[in-house]
Amino acid sequence: MAAVPGDATDEMLMVRYQRGERKAFVELVRRHNRPIYNFVLRQVRMPSLAEDVTQDVFMRVVQNAAEFKHEARFLTWLYTIARNLCIDQLRKLSHRRHASLDQPQRDQADQTDAQLLADTVGDPNPQASAERNALSSEVRSSIVKAVDSLPDDQREVFLLREVASLPFRDIAEITGVGENTVKSRMRYALDRLKDALCDFEEYARALR
Amino acid sequence: MWANTVDCEKFDRIVLDLLYEELDELTAAAAGRHMEHCTRCRAIGSGLRATREVGALPLLEPPERLELRILQAEERATQLLPIGKRLGRGLSLLAGYAMRPQVSMAALLMLMIGSSLFFLRAQPGDREHVLVTERGVPESDNEVVTVLPRKADAPEPARVAVHPPPSTRGEESGRRDRAAEAKPEAAPMAAAEQYAAAPPAGPARGAAALGASAEDKDLEGSESSSDSDASYDAAMAAYRDGRYSEAQRRFDEIASLGGPHAANAALYGAQALRRVSGCPTAAPRFEEVHSRYPGSVGSDAAWQAADCYRSLGDLARARQNYEQLSADPSYKTRAKEAIAELDQRVADQEAAARKAAAAAAATAVAAKAAKPAAPSAPAKPATSLK
Repeated sequence: MAAVPGDATDEMLMVRYQRGERKAFVELVRRHNRPIYNFVLRQVRMPSLAEDVTQDVFMRVVQNAAEFKHEARFLTWLYTIARNLCIDQLRKLSHRRHASLDQPQRDQADQTDAQLLADTVGDPNPQASAERNALSSEVRSSIVKAVDSLPDDQREVFLLREVASLPFRDIAEITGVGENTVKSRMRYALDRLKDALCDFEEYARALR
Repeated sequence: MWANTVDCEKFDRIVLDLLYEELDELTAAAAGRHMEHCTRCRAIGSGLRATREVGALPLLEPPERLELRILQAEERATQLLPIGKRLGRGLSLLAGYAMRPQVSMAALLMLMIGSSLFFLRAQPGDREHVLVTERGVPESDNEVVTVLPRKADAPEPARVAVHPPPSTRGEESGRRDRAAEAKPEAAPMAAAEQYAAAPPAGPARGAAALGASAEDKDLEGSESSSDSDASYDAAMAAYRDGRYSEAQRRFDEIASLGGPHAANAALYGAQALRRVSGCPTAAPRFEEVHSRYPGSVGSDAAWQAADCYRSLGDLARARQNYEQLSADPSYKTRAKEAIAELDQRVADQEAAARKAAAAAAATAVAAKAAKPAAPSAPAKPATSLK
């Protein structure tokens, strides 16, 4: 089996996987495992469930690999799958919350998230990582809370933009709305986040 | 320049693209210039940028076991993949190979070769395996190109006429004109453009003639042909001078040796023989020339033979020759006129014969009437009274 070069595009890797190169799939998992997991986690808010959903996302890729067209964009396809699975899980969760009192309360889940953040935080933007490492876990948990408090449609757009680093055009394709609508939702999300983080924003300005 | 001017309204539309660096350079520069002069827009831009920086969502590292779980699940799923999807994967694999440029170039090459083969003639006829060789004489003397037909059951190699070189052709034309003036009955020969018989296959004849005309240029100026020309000229001179016996001998020699003048020499030899010995001897010779050189020379010979038959009173054989010649386009009109003339002549002969027969019958009747009655048998003398 031929070695998979690191600079191969996702689409090339997918086409190779269609031809039976399993290493290409391994490379795809290594590239997108983390952002997919974070996108799913911020949607379903439960780490164990996020793992399962992330695994399901890649299994959908395996099962539907033959249907992938080489001219399509892999990331758009991947996050469309992830979004649909998240919607399914949230729908199931909403039924369970109504049916079970054993489910942990929202505050408890937030505390779990904050603890997780404090333990295993990563950074998509390495340039500012030095400064950001100085931020307290309190700031991080505030950010998570602010994001979780966003309406679903705004949070979805925010996560696709910030976590998946997808352009607005692709986000519009994934969510099935117009590009202007996507930008509008993103603007509302940033405004809400700004309101929630105004104290830390002052701190950020002081950092510059 | 106007398109890249940014005002507050436009800034509100593009501020997110500016924030996430999805603007082109010119518009981004215009937005930056606008922010320098507009306090409102500068505040908006700075606020969003600060929010994005502070509010950058920290990413969690997924558990290490997750990647392993995914890969194990993939392995299991691949083994349990339904046959349809496995086939789809195989098809994708084949399609991947088919989409390679090398395969495309190979397909294009095969298409070009295939189309070329399509336009090639599968059975081009007798010309496909034609062998053109020289026969009997050295190449320098050989103006007769022999075409060997492809089929083995062909009666004999067909012979295609080759036009003589332009210089000799002009002389030959002049000779033929002079011969036609000297002997008006040989007028059909003026149509003779070929020196030898044509092959049975028409297209091959044309193609060989084309090739032969190219050969003409190669043979031009050939000294080896001058000897046969001189012999032929001497024979023609004897013929024109009325020395028919000598002319016949010379023409026969030329015809027996073969070469470019053989056909005409044979015909003139037969004509000279007619002058010397008359039609009873010449008619078979004309027939021989006709059968040996089945071209325009042969047609001339057939015409001459028919003429001999007419003079000999053998109208049936003359008619037979004329009917053969009526199939030749150059003799068609004359042959039909000759046949009509023959028919008229036969009719006249029959009428004359009937008239003669009637006259003979009338003469016989008159003679019979004028002749005194034959004495009857003497009466038997009365028997004596007994």
